[in-house]
Amino acid sequence: MDSEFWAKIHGASTHLPLALAGCSWLFDAAGLALARRPAGPQLNIAGYWTMLLAGLGTFPAVASGLLMTKGQMLGHDLVRFHHLFVWPAFGLLVGLATWRAMVGTMTRRGVFGCYLAVGFTAAALVAGAGYFGGEMLLGH
Amino acid sequence: MTREKKALGAAILASGLALGGAFVFGKTLQQQARADSHQQPAVAETWLFSPPAPSPEMAVAGQKLFLNSCAHCHGADAHGDEGPDLHGVQVSDRRIVNVIKNGIQGEMPSFAKKHSEAEIAELLAYVRSLN
Repeated sequence: MDSEFWAKIHGASTHLPLALAGCSWLFDAAGLALARRPAGPQLNIAGYWTMLLAGLGTFPAVASGLLMTKGQMLGHDLVRFHHLFVWPAFGLLVGLATWRAMVGTMTRRGVFGCYLAVGFTAAALVAGAGYFGGEMLLGH
Repeated sequence: MTREKKALGAAILASGLALGGAFVFGKTLQQQARADSHQQPAVAETWLFSPPAPSPEMAVAGQKLFLNSCAHCHGADAHGDEGPDLHGVQVSDRRIVNVIKNGIQGEMPSFAKKHSEAEIAELLAYVRSLN
């Protein structure tokens, strides 16, 4: 299958983990803020599952990107900027999803705060990767 | 060891494996693409014209054409972007001309309608000047 096919698959597969990672962070932050209310634990359950799905969703997104570019991992200009955000975001999202899968829906408040800080970094990196991905398509 | 610390170790391991797997997958695809790009032209890809011997003037003209038509994929410095690096290409003039004229299915469009044979010869001179 050619690059044009994988470009379509890449476009279709990247937005889901991007949205899930952002939603997971919002659910968990809200769950932490509302921990003493009935909705708090429910929000953390939603954050748990959306993070797991975001972690899984990164694999088709990365694989389709590599297939589209014939294995280019850094490149030049906008592609380089895109990749400089993609690789740390990919590593962080896989790590966060693994950590969350083992820890469960909630843990100690301080530790969970650290998780949210790293999650915010990952979401920001994913947003940066998405921005430069969009610039490649629409910026010229 | 607490549950969180065990999970942190697993998370670091999973991240490393994911990034390592992506690296190996990427390298494999690069090798495959490199092998594909060095295949000999098909019989149908005939040598339609003989470009004149490259000159510095042709290379300068070719660079202008390159910046308009090719830099978007090959990078303004021809060091590659979405398309491959063109410095030191180890293929024949015939192969370069055929790729510009016919494109590569699914990878690169044909420029036969956009550029005349003289312009393609200038593009070839520019690509050769990168060596």
